[in-house]
Amino acid sequence: MTDAPATPRWRILLTPRWLSWHLFAAAAVTGMAWLGDWQFRRAMAGNTLSWAYTFEWPIFAIFGIVFWLKTIRDELHPAADGTQASEVELPAGAKPGSGPRAEPSGAAAADGLPASGAEQAAEGQDERELAEYNAYLAKLSREVRGHGRWHGLR
Amino acid sequence: MDPDPRLALVVRAYRVLAYVTGTVLIILCFVGIPLQVLAGNLIIVRYVGTAHGILYICYVIVAFVMTRLVRMKVASPGTVIVLLAGTVPVLTFLVELWVTRAYINPALAASARRPAPSPAVGR
Repeated sequence: MTDAPATPRWRILLTPRWLSWHLFAAAAVTGMAWLGDWQFRRAMAGNTLSWAYTFEWPIFAIFGIVFWLKTIRDELHPAADGTQASEVELPAGAKPGSGPRAEPSGAAAADGLPASGAEQAAEGQDERELAEYNAYLAKLSREVRGHGRWHGLR
Repeated sequence: MDPDPRLALVVRAYRVLAYVTGTVLIILCFVGIPLQVLAGNLIIVRYVGTAHGILYICYVIVAFVMTRLVRMKVASPGTVIVLLAGTVPVLTFLVELWVTRAYINPALAASARRPAPSPAVGR
């Protein structure tokens, strides 16, 4: 939900887990750049096969940087989830207050109607409670939807 | 409603590259390397190895775009396995089966269900 965090959002990037990810990414990119340089030296020394790897390693290094940036971007700006809300379709009567006899049922019970009326009133009460519970579940489901999907490093 | 054409295209490209890269890697590992080690014959390692290197670059890029579109977490084991599968013999085939079942089919179905992906904010 949208409750404002006490600390700025980017501060999560300084947690130990994220710091170790930054370190790993830096080491990996450095390693790939070094491998590219090594292949370049081999290629210059006459190994023709090394020319291909001379270009491959830098590409992998760039990809590593892009990958690292994407993890940060996803953490700071979780994607607007297009699937939200549209998936939770409640049946027609399952909204609080809109169920059959939602309001009159209580009054009918208080008036001391015949047995069948009282039964119907109790039924209406159950239905209302069920509808409210369903709405509550739907609300929870909406709130939780998308959580965790985009937060790879939590 | 048809699934999102962009998603369908990326998924198709991913599948083609997964199978081609996987096949080339199997040739490299189970034909090329034995030839090099046992017979000292470098011809397959040289050409197929280079081809696999180039194919793997394409595979990584397309597979990464695919993982984004089917909404896999970036820094999740699943995404990393998909990307690294192109370097382990036979793994691309298995990973393609798994990712199709776990992510691609649900994503295709979801994109077919809502034709206009407008963000539904509340109701």
